[in-house]
Amino acid sequence: CKSRFEKLRLSNDVAKKYQEGIRLYNKKDYSKALILFEGLVQKYRGTAEAEDLNYYYAYTLYRLKDYTTARYKFKEFADTYPASKNAEECRYMGAYCYYLDSPKSSLDQENTYKAIDALQLFINLYPKSDRATQAAQYIANLRDKLETKAFDNAKLYYNLGGYDVTNYKSAVVALKNAQTEFPDIKYAEEMNLLIVKSQFMYAKNSYPHRQEDRFNEAIEYYNEFIEAYPDSKFAKEAKQLKEDSEAGIANAKRIIAEEQAMIAKYKALEESDKKRKDTTNNNSDNKTQK
Amino acid sequence: TPSLKVNGLNLDYFTPKEYIIGGTTLTGAKYLDKDVIVVLSKLTQGETIMLPGEGTANAIKNLWAQGLFDDIKLNVSKINGDTVYFDIEVVELPRLSGFEFTGISKSQKTDILEKLGDRPGKSIINDNLYNTTRSIITKYLYEKGFFYTKIDYASKPDPNQDNSVVLQVNIDKGRRVKVQKIEFTGNKEFSAAKLRKYLKKTKQRAFYKVFGSGKFNKEKYEEDKLAFVAKLHEKGYRDAAIISDSVYKYNDKTVGIKINMYEGPKYYFGKITWVGNAKYNTEFLEKVFGIEKGEVFSEEKLEKKLRGSANGDDVSSIYLNDGYLTFNVDPVQTKIYNDTVDVEMRIYEGPKYTINKVSVLGNTITNDRVVLREIRTKPGDYFSKELLIRSVREIGQLGNFDESKTNPVPKPNPADGTVDIVYHVEEKPSDQIELSGGFGGGRVIGTLGLTFNNFSLRNLFKGEAYRPLPKGDGQRLSLRGQTNGKFYQSYSFSFSEPWFGGKKPVSFGVSAFTSLQSNGLSKSNANYYGIRLNGVSFSLGRRLKWPDNWFSLTHSINLNQYILNNYPGFLFSTGESYNLNFTQEISRDSRNHNIFPTGGSYLRFTVQATPPYSLFNKVNYNTASDKDRYRFTEYHKWKFESQWFETVVGKLVFKGQAQFGFLGSYNSAVGQSAFERFKLGGDGMQGFDFLQGSEIIAMRGYSNNSVIPVGANPNIAQSSGSPIFTKYVMELRYPVISSQQATAFMTVFGEAGNTWDRFRDFNPFNVRRSVGVGAKIFLPIFGLLGIDYGYGFDNIPGVPDANKGQFHFSIAQQMGGFN
Repeated sequence: CKSRFEKLRLSNDVAKKYQEGIRLYNKKDYSKALILFEGLVQKYRGTAEAEDLNYYYAYTLYRLKDYTTARYKFKEFADTYPASKNAEECRYMGAYCYYLDSPKSSLDQENTYKAIDALQLFINLYPKSDRATQAAQYIANLRDKLETKAFDNAKLYYNLGGYDVTNYKSAVVALKNAQTEFPDIKYAEEMNLLIVKSQFMYAKNSYPHRQEDRFNEAIEYYNEFIEAYPDSKFAKEAKQLKEDSEAGIANAKRIIAEEQAMIAKYKALEESDKKRKDTTNNNSDNKTQK
Repeated sequence: TPSLKVNGLNLDYFTPKEYIIGGTTLTGAKYLDKDVIVVLSKLTQGETIMLPGEGTANAIKNLWAQGLFDDIKLNVSKINGDTVYFDIEVVELPRLSGFEFTGISKSQKTDILEKLGDRPGKSIINDNLYNTTRSIITKYLYEKGFFYTKIDYASKPDPNQDNSVVLQVNIDKGRRVKVQKIEFTGNKEFSAAKLRKYLKKTKQRAFYKVFGSGKFNKEKYEEDKLAFVAKLHEKGYRDAAIISDSVYKYNDKTVGIKINMYEGPKYYFGKITWVGNAKYNTEFLEKVFGIEKGEVFSEEKLEKKLRGSANGDDVSSIYLNDGYLTFNVDPVQTKIYNDTVDVEMRIYEGPKYTINKVSVLGNTITNDRVVLREIRTKPGDYFSKELLIRSVREIGQLGNFDESKTNPVPKPNPADGTVDIVYHVEEKPSDQIELSGGFGGGRVIGTLGLTFNNFSLRNLFKGEAYRPLPKGDGQRLSLRGQTNGKFYQSYSFSFSEPWFGGKKPVSFGVSAFTSLQSNGLSKSNANYYGIRLNGVSFSLGRRLKWPDNWFSLTHSINLNQYILNNYPGFLFSTGESYNLNFTQEISRDSRNHNIFPTGGSYLRFTVQATPPYSLFNKVNYNTASDKDRYRFTEYHKWKFESQWFETVVGKLVFKGQAQFGFLGSYNSAVGQSAFERFKLGGDGMQGFDFLQGSEIIAMRGYSNNSVIPVGANPNIAQSSGSPIFTKYVMELRYPVISSQQATAFMTVFGEAGNTWDRFRDFNPFNVRRSVGVGAKIFLPIFGLLGIDYGYGFDNIPGVPDANKGQFHFSIAQQMGGFN
C-alpha cells in the first residue's frame, strides 16, 4: 500500500503538489519537499507561479545543505527574475552558498576564489544593501583563509629542512612568493623572521666555500627584517641569527684559509721534492720523508 | 534608408527616439501564461525603450530562448505621443518531452540520446526536429557499419504535461555490412597482403576469422587510413600517401574497399648536423640521438629520439632535466637528393628555468602538505622533467588520487626565467572493505576488514572533520575481524603514519591483534581446550638517500604471546610461550605503478632475530621439556625477495621474481624453532596457520602447504612448515582493463620452488615446477582478487593430489609482499 505522499508524488495534480510542497517546506520536511519541487519546476516553466516555486526550490536545497546545487539555483533565480523582490536576496544567498562551500585552508581553494568573486559581484550590484557589509566581512574571512594557506605551505619547506637542507632554500623562495602574492599578509612579521632563519639554516648546512655568500644573504634578510619591524618581539631571536651568521662567516673563512695553507704547504713540499730530484739524481728516500 | 512606418510614425534607424512602454499584449498563446511571457520579453509597462533599438531585438531573443514557440512576431500596435504599445504574436507548438526508441540496443540508445542533447524539453515538434533527429541517428549508425537504416516517427501526447509530445522513433537498422575485399592500386614494393595488415581494424572477411569477422566501421576505417600512411612513412617511404579511396557496395551485405595510393621511393638518412647548441656539444648530442647516416629514414624514429622516448634518453629530456624548460629542437630537412635526406637539427636552448611556486589543485579531501611533501620539484631548484614525472608517480603511490588524472602543469615565465608548477590531482576512493566468507579448517569463516588509507588521527575528536571519517592526513588505519562463531575469533588493528612528526619521511606503525581458537565449550568445562594469541608490534621506517633514494630501511619490534589451555597438537598442551623479536628490513622499490607495474624493480632483505635466551638462562636444553624449551622462543630468520618488471612489447609485461628464506638457530641444543617457519604451495592465503606464526608462501600448481622437503614426514612437515625455502616466478602479464574503477590483467606463469630441512641439503636448482594461467582484478574497494589455474609437474612423495591441475583463488592479498 502506497503512502499518501507516494500517491501524490505519482499523481498529475500539479496544483496540489505545489501546495503540499510548500506545506512540507514550512514543516521543515525538506527532503520530501525537494522531491515534489524537483518534479514541478519543469512543468511550471513559463507560468506565473514559477517564480515562487524556484525561490522555494533553491531554499529547500540550501536547507538540505546541498550548497553546490543551491547556489546554482539561487543564481539562476537572480538571473531569470532580476526585477523580483527576492532577486537581491537570492544573489546574496548564491554567494553565501559558495562561502559555505569553501573548504578549510589546507584543501583546494577553488570555491574560495569563486566565493570571493560572487560576494564581490553582490557588493557591486547592491552596494547600499544591508547585506553588503556582511558580504564584505565574508570576503575578509576568505582572504584570511588564503593567507593562512600561503603561509602554511611556505612554512612546510622550513619544517622539512631537517630532512633535506635544500628545503631551507625552497622555504626562502616560497615565503617570499607568499609575501608577493599577499602584500599585507597578517603573518608578515613571522614570515620575515622565518626567511632569516631558513637562509641561516641553509648557509649553516652548506659546504664551507659556499657559506660566506649564503650567510651574507641571511644577514641581508636580517637587516630587512629589523628595518621593517624595529620593535619586533622576535628581534632578539633575529639578532642571534645575525650574530651566528657572522660567526659562521668567520668560521668558514678560517676553514678555507687552513685548507689553502695546507694545499700551499703540500705544493711547496712537492715542488722542493721535485727540485731536489732534478738537481741531485742520487737523492735518497729518507731525505724526502723528512 | 531602412525605416519603418507604423501608424504614421517614422521609425528611422538614424534617429532613434526614447519611448515609454504603455503596455504589451499577447496574441496566439493557448497554454502559456500571458503575463509571464510579457515579463520574459522585458517589455514591461512603464519602462523606457529606444526605438528602433536593442530592446525589441532582445525581447524576441529572450522569448526565443525559452524554446516554446515556432514563431514570434513583435508588432507596435499603437503609438501615443511618447508612449508605445506592443503586441507579441506567437505561434505555440507542442513541446517535445522525450524520445522513445525501438529497434536499437540500450547502449546505442544512450549514445544517440547523448548526441540528441537537450532537445527533449527544449524542442518543439516540427520538420526541423524530424530531419535533424533522422540525420543524427543515420550518421551514428552508418559509422557503426549499418548502411541501410530506415526511420519512421510516431508521436503521442505526454499524459503528464499539457501540450507535450513524446516522439517515438522506430528504427530499422538493417544488417551491419562486412568488408568483402580490400584492393590496392599504386603499390610496388609492398604486397597487398602486407598493406592489408597495416589496416588494423578494417579486415576482409574470411572463413577462419571467428571474432569481428570483417565488420565495417566507418569511424575505425578513417583512423586506420591515418595509421596506414604513418606506417609507410615509418618504413622510410616518406612520400607515401593515399591518393583516393572508395567504399563501394559489393552486394546487399558487404562492401568493397579500393585504395589508390602513391608509394614513392624509400629514403635514408643523410648528413645530420646540429646548430644552436651551446650547453652540450655536438658529439654528445649525436650520441644521445643515436641515428646514423645511412639508416632508413623514419620521422617517427626521429621524433622518438628527439623527444618521445619513454625512459628519458632522448635529446629533449637531456635538456628538460637540466632546467631548459623552453628547449626546442626542430629537425629541418635541408636537402633531399635521390633517396637521401639531410637533416639539420635547429636547437633553441632558451634560459635555464628556476622553479618558483609549486601548488596543488583538486585535493578536496587530502591536505596540501600530504601532497607537497612528496613533490620533488621544489621552489628555488632548477626545473627537471624527470623529477616532475617522479613526483607524479609518488603522488600516485599515496593511493588517494587517480593516477591517470594526476597532471603537472608547468607555467613558465620567460621574463625572469622562473616556472610555476601546478599539480592537478583528482581524489579517488581509497578505502577498502574486505567482506568474505571462506572455508578453513572444515568450517565457514566470516571476515570483515576495513582499511582507511587517508585517515587523520588528529581530527579523531573533531566532529566537523568527519565525512564520514576524519580524513586527509594520509594515515592508514585498518581494522579486521574474523570469526566462525565460538570456535575461532581473531581481531586486529593497525595504524601507520608515513611522516611521523610531519617533518621527516619516517613512517611509524603500530599494530595489535588477539585471536582465540577453542573447542567452543565454556572455560569451566573439564573438556575445554583452546589457545589464545596476543601480539603487538611497533615499527619505524625511513627512506634513505644512499645508495640511492629508492631505498628504505625499517626497524620493528614484535611481541607475541601464546596461552595454551589443554590444547592438543601443539608443542605442549598447557602453558605460555613468548616470541619477542626484532626485525630489520632494507628494501628498494622503483616500480612505476602500484597495481600493474610495467617497469622497475623491488628488492627486499629482512633479518629477524630473537634474543639468544639460551646463552644466559639456566635451562638445560638437552633435558628440558617442550614447555620450558619454548617458553621463550629463539631463532634468527633471513629473507630475501626480488621482483623485476619489464615491458616486452606493447602492453605485455614480464615479471620475474625470486624469493629465499632461511630460519636458523643460535644453539644446536635448542634446535630449530618450531615457530616462524615457511609453508610453501597453494594460494598463499592465511588460514589456520597462524598458530606458529608460519609464513605462507604461494606456489601455484600445488595444493596449500604441500611443497615439503624431500624425505620429510608428510604430516609433520605440512603442519609445521620448513625452515628453508626458495621460490622463483616468471610471469607474462597483459592488462585487459585499466581504469579508475578496476584494473584487470591476464597472466601466464611458470613457477619453481622447494623447501629443505637442513642448510647442507639446500640446492637452489633442485626445485618443484609448475606452469599455468590466471586472471587478476583490482577493485579499489576490494583489493586484488585473483583466480589461477596451475599445473604442478613434480610429485610430492607422501602427499597425493599435491600437484597436477590446481585451481587457486586469492583475495585482497597485500601487494608486493611475500605472496
